[in-house]
Amino acid sequence: MRCGGLDGLKLIVLASLVGALGCSIPRAVARPVRVMSINGCSDQLVLALADPRTIASVTWLSRDPEGSYMWRAAQHVPVNHGSAEEVVRDHPDLVIAGSYTTPATRALLVKLHYRLLVLQPADSFDDIRRETRTVASALGATERGRALIAHMDATLTRLAADKGPPLRVAAWDGAGFSAAPGSLYASILKVAGARNVTAQTQGMGGSTPEVEKLIATAPQLLVAGAPGFEKPGRQTDVAHHPLVRRFWSDRTLVVPLSSYECGTPFSADAALSLREQMRAKLARAQTPLPFAPVSTP
Amino acid sequence: MKPALLLALVVVVVLAASSSLLVGEVGVSPAQAVRAVLAAQPNLTTLVLWDIRLPRTLLALLIGGILGLSGAVLQGLLRNPLAEPGLLGVSSGASFGAVIAIYYGLTSATSLAAPVFGLVGALVTTGAAMALARRGGTLALILAGAAVSAIAAAGVELALNFSPNPYAAYEITTWLMGSLADRSWDHVKLAAPFIVAGGVLLLLTGRGLDALALGEAQAESLGVDVRRLRLLALFGTALGVGAATAVAGAIGFVGLVAPHLMRPLVGHRPGQVLIPAALAGALIVTMADLATRLIHLGPELKLGVLISLIGAPFFLWLVIHVQRRSP
Repeated sequence: MRCGGLDGLKLIVLASLVGALGCSIPRAVARPVRVMSINGCSDQLVLALADPRTIASVTWLSRDPEGSYMWRAAQHVPVNHGSAEEVVRDHPDLVIAGSYTTPATRALLVKLHYRLLVLQPADSFDDIRRETRTVASALGATERGRALIAHMDATLTRLAADKGPPLRVAAWDGAGFSAAPGSLYASILKVAGARNVTAQTQGMGGSTPEVEKLIATAPQLLVAGAPGFEKPGRQTDVAHHPLVRRFWSDRTLVVPLSSYECGTPFSADAALSLREQMRAKLARAQTPLPFAPVSTP
Repeated sequence: MKPALLLALVVVVVLAASSSLLVGEVGVSPAQAVRAVLAAQPNLTTLVLWDIRLPRTLLALLIGGILGLSGAVLQGLLRNPLAEPGLLGVSSGASFGAVIAIYYGLTSATSLAAPVFGLVGALVTTGAAMALARRGGTLALILAGAAVSAIAAAGVELALNFSPNPYAAYEITTWLMGSLADRSWDHVKLAAPFIVAGGVLLLLTGRGLDALALGEAQAESLGVDVRRLRLLALFGTALGVGAATAVAGAIGFVGLVAPHLMRPLVGHRPGQVLIPAALAGALIVTMADLATRLIHLGPELKLGVLISLIGAPFFLWLVIHVQRRSP
């Protein structure tokens, strides 16, 4: 009896039968894992690691250049909106979700006997290594995972080698992902050589620093994480304050959400680009800073 | 009105406002503040006092004042101890207007858009409530206000639902919690004229409210034009509270609590409670704003949240108190 040359459905039906007959079917050879991602951050890892032909779908968020680092790759694969109904429609072998995916959707998928992998948010480069390995091994793309991690570590080494004078910045984000200690945004700023002088306490503050704090700490640059910068909203409010306009109008750097929202093997590249942009901005800045810092936390 | 009470209130408000100028991220002692004011060269302290804390304190006084005043006027007008500016759809109308302005790109055209839309929203909801209740009495006005308010609140959610900005819901929820952080002179210039104009209209109702306490028919027989009184009260509230909500978000309970605190001190006369209630409102908002800067819990404690935390137990006390007094 031949074990190869069968299409998907027949293979599944026959797998249990032939299993009993003693004919072993090596999974990876029989068919690559068809994967579906229903979370914006797992999209990034799936797009980075999987062969596009094996991706059943990723979320529609992954095509947005502002929020998704892998938006170019996402143009070539189908998209979903993260619902269980779409999973049933696409019928993948593996569903990857995030720990923020609606519990109802996750519970339903488990109930329907889908193989579900739930990723934890990656807030540090160690977390990124862990999550990348997890997804790579689930997809049978261990080699690719290893290569991406090696690339990331090489970039991190490059960043550490060229420290330069530390940059005093005030960093925040308008969407609720704060640059608080312990966040991915903070990890990226740190390896990029920036010290966030308005660092808030741990947790989801997400708020912009008060203008008074900016005046008191006098950061060299404002690093404004700007999700939907082109879309109307309140995330640019702080930039309209007369004092911020006076001292920081040529000292404000806008970083796209895609560079710090999700931990991926490319986060080190994002840090590298952030450092280059910070240095370039600072070199061009002309406005004198407000009075010398009163207290630096 | 007792001059002693008024004087005492003014003194406390001035004290609260002065301490509000001294508290924040940058420590400023009274001596430093005086020196900063007298200094020829601008320095860190003048910058902080003049550009950050003074506009914030002025807004706290103005917003607290108009909330307390309009609460007192509405409680007198509707002869209902639970009346407050939010009841007639003013706050939700203003929120609706501001949300449209912020999330559909109008604020990028002009920074006036949010306050102007806030005002328009407040005027439209209040106008609608008045038009719907024009034949009915006080109860009809309250019910129409509640209905219009609910429609405006649904409008806010609908606007967020279809907003092009995916973070709109998060942003607007925190904005609606109410805050005075980082409000600048721009905000004072936008809101102050409307708040002052609204305040003047509301103060004109004082005498009429005293007569209205006897009942609508009795007031009319005393020569009070009840329709005009209603117009003054509602238009004044829409102008003042609309502008306040547009710059500071929704701040509840001040309008409810301030008049109740003052009423026993002025012999329960609705017309007499107006100015003390405005001062009490100003005091509450200034003190609460001061407290948000003193309490450090990580993220900023929002002004509206703090006031509600204090206001809600008071509301409970009020319910129990009213129950005990009623037969």
